[in-house]
Amino acid sequence: MDFSFTKKEEKFRLELRNWLEENLPTSWPEEEEAYISFLKDWQKTLAEGGWAGITWPEKYGGKNATLMQEIIYHQEMVRADAPPTINYVGIHMVGPTLMQIGTEEQKERYIKKLLTGEEIWCQGYSEPNAGSDLSAIKTSAVKDGDKWLINGQKVWTSYGHIADRCFLLARTSQVPGKKHRGITVFLLDMNQPGVEVRPIVQLDGRQEFNEVYLTDAVCYDADIVGEVDKGWQVMISLMLHERAGIGAEVFTLEKQFNNLVAMTKEYKVDGESLIENATIRQKMADLYARSRGAILNYYRNLTNTLKNGQPGAESSIDKLLVSELTKEMFEFAVSIQGPHGILWKEDAPFNSQWQEKYLYSYGTTIGGGTSEIQRNTIGERVLGLPKDLRA
Amino acid sequence: MDFSLNEEQEMFRNYVRKCLNEAGQTMVAREFTSGNTSGFLKLQRKLAELGCTGITISEEYGGLGLGALDLVPVLEEFGRAVLPGSYLETMAFVVPLLEKYGTREQKETYLPEIAAGERSFSVAWVEPNKSYDPDVIACQAEVKGNSLVINGVKTLVPDGNHVDSLLLIVRTADKSVNGDGLSLVLIDVSEVTNLKTLSSLDETRNVTEITFENVEVPMTHVLGEVNQGCSALKEGLLYLHAATSSVLVGSMDHIVEMSTEYAKIREQFGQPIGRFQAIKHRIVDMKLDLETARSLSHYANWALDTNQQDKEAAIYSARAFATEANIRLASHNIQNHGGIGFTMEMDCHLFLKRARFYENYMGSISQFREDVSKGLRWSDEKPSFQLTSK
Ligand SMILES: Cc1cc2nc3c(=O)[nH]c(=O)nc-3n(C[C@H](O)[C@H](O)[C@H](O)COP(=O)(O)OP(=O)(O)OC[C@H]3O[C@@H](n4cnc5c(N)ncnc54)[C@H](O)[C@@H]3O)c2cc1C
Repeated sequence: MDFSFTKKEEKFRLELRNWLEENLPTSWPEEEEAYISFLKDWQKTLAEGGWAGITWPEKYGGKNATLMQEIIYHQEMVRADAPPTINYVGIHMVGPTLMQIGTEEQKERYIKKLLTGEEIWCQGYSEPNAGSDLSAIKTSAVKDGDKWLINGQKVWTSYGHIADRCFLLARTSQVPGKKHRGITVFLLDMNQPGVEVRPIVQLDGRQEFNEVYLTDAVCYDADIVGEVDKGWQVMISLMLHERAGIGAEVFTLEKQFNNLVAMTKEYKVDGESLIENATIRQKMADLYARSRGAILNYYRNLTNTLKNGQPGAESSIDKLLVSELTKEMFEFAVSIQGPHGILWKEDAPFNSQWQEKYLYSYGTTIGGGTSEIQRNTIGERVLGLPKDLRA
Repeated sequence: MDFSLNEEQEMFRNYVRKCLNEAGQTMVAREFTSGNTSGFLKLQRKLAELGCTGITISEEYGGLGLGALDLVPVLEEFGRAVLPGSYLETMAFVVPLLEKYGTREQKETYLPEIAAGERSFSVAWVEPNKSYDPDVIACQAEVKGNSLVINGVKTLVPDGNHVDSLLLIVRTADKSVNGDGLSLVLIDVSEVTNLKTLSSLDETRNVTEITFENVEVPMTHVLGEVNQGCSALKEGLLYLHAATSSVLVGSMDHIVEMSTEYAKIREQFGQPIGRFQAIKHRIVDMKLDLETARSLSHYANWALDTNQQDKEAAIYSARAFATEANIRLASHNIQNHGGIGFTMEMDCHLFLKRARFYENYMGSISQFREDVSKGLRWSDEKPSFQLTSK
């Protein structure tokens, strides 16, 4: 066993740390529009510095980074409190998928622009009647001359309101009894008359996801990823790329726990720091054990990946553990602030950063596959338990 | 044995339910959070006409002269609708204190108006960076002749901008000097100049902060004896927490209904999600929490009315359990709804946010549990049997 990093890896870390010191923005705008253009600028800065899409081959602007370097990258980004990646979908999902199965034309057309944040992407999978069961999608794409006409409704589309392109799932044929067949992935231009985006207000008051109405929206053959009717396979390879993002969440959990420790030392009720309260201390020690456990699990899965060359199904354990634990930790953070914890924004302790994270955390056990679906995956793929009966 | 609400109580529940249905149930809270209070004010008047505001007020002052148990169905219905307003504080805190400690003049001034729905109260207790521990109260009231001069800050006063009056808890002496050094003051909001509304996670209640600068009130506004406020508070809290448990039960009742109904109609994988045991069993566990909380709270209110020996333990165990269960249920309800549960569109969030409001309201779960242990005298009685080692 060895938890150290090689000299080369440490050199990589130092290089990034130095770069961040010089390039990290010092202030973040509050106002929505300004914030978005700030995030786009940040993405551009990262790309120009060679610090976006680091695992990608050099010809696409990447660094050919190893898995360990990617881990270090996430650690340093979290450590520095770097702004979030606005083109998360583009960089972590669409880019790698196109590199793997896209046409040369698609790679040429999209990869550079998504790396620099010039084109923002969203993913259009969920529909009002197809959430956990994505194979139930009804949005249809019908060939009309050289066009594909797309009709239907998507929902919960994160970034939809700012996206230029959508990685869209649509039904191109009906195969009775085989809902997974007949689905095709399109690269949809969001800036066209047939696409209408309506924001949805989340329970934390933010508007980050949307309804997307498609009325004769247009795509062409060149916008199809993989083959017609074989979109499900494309989705599966894309979701494997999505798993890589868990590293950032694991390190964020670790950081948030450390912040929570600091909060319990700093926040005083009746002149006493929270951490001086034995009940709170006990729970903190429990959260420490469980967050350490989650991080160490992640390292162990990582070791397996390094040895086997590819991630195993165990990585869904990471998502489930981390999202559930994050939710519980933020709930506790609000709870222990006592009566004043009910306040919000500038009136709340620490400008309500804990309250906001708490409310937001309810989305993390739903988005990207609910906790129940994760449990099914772990049960069936990791433990080999019998599958649910599905219609 | 008969452990059920009686026919009149259930009938009254139906009237209240009908009234709330007509007003649109949670619509009232939703409009309230967007700044439109007209629906709420209209409903308040209707509920007063129905007699809700007179339940626990003695007949002599225009009320119905009933007890805590008679409030239960009303409070449950209010909890179901996440109703805004300070009915809870007025009816289950200020009224019992006025009835017990009020002077004839105070009763005549306030009780008939409360009964008629023309006066509501909130409670100004907690101070910035402090808990509800009475010992830490620092807001000062100095006796000057026939008046009290008040200085200090009270925060988290619910609906301070909607109510007519406040029950204000002030320090009139050092704890060590005289009694507990606290006094309760009845004061009209119109006499308060410095009131600001704070942003709150739960927008169905307006949380306010009030700064008192040399605010003068006549001594006749002191409720109960000067410097003896603490014991009165403890008594008032029994009523308040018994009643709060009922509001929580009402919320839980609605939450279980929401999850159940949704699990029947929402289909994924070609079947209602209620068929998945992950969902079905979770809703069943929610139902168990609900029914446990309901039994605890009904018993607690009965124990209070009939002055049972275990009333303290009954009330605080109901409050502690229902508080925690309500948060758990509100969270599960979001998860059971999936994406739509994470929006402002569904009611799920209203229940979660209100659940957090009650969590640390007028105490805390760990304080309630301490109160259970005190009520049962766990630390001051000798064990009834001795463990011997052989
Ligand atoms: C913050 C956030 C961001 C999102 N971003 C996007 C996005 O960018 N693009 C996109 O396409 N979608 C997005 N989604 C949608 C997300 O993928 C879906 O919400 C999720 O898959 C659940 O689907 P649903 O909302 O329809 O819930 P449902 O599938 O209706 O689920 C309701 C409940 O039933 C349970 N359930 C369903 N099936 C089973 C089963 N077989 N066994 C046990 N329990 C089951 C669920 O776990 C849940 O508790 C986002 C969601 C959130 C919350």
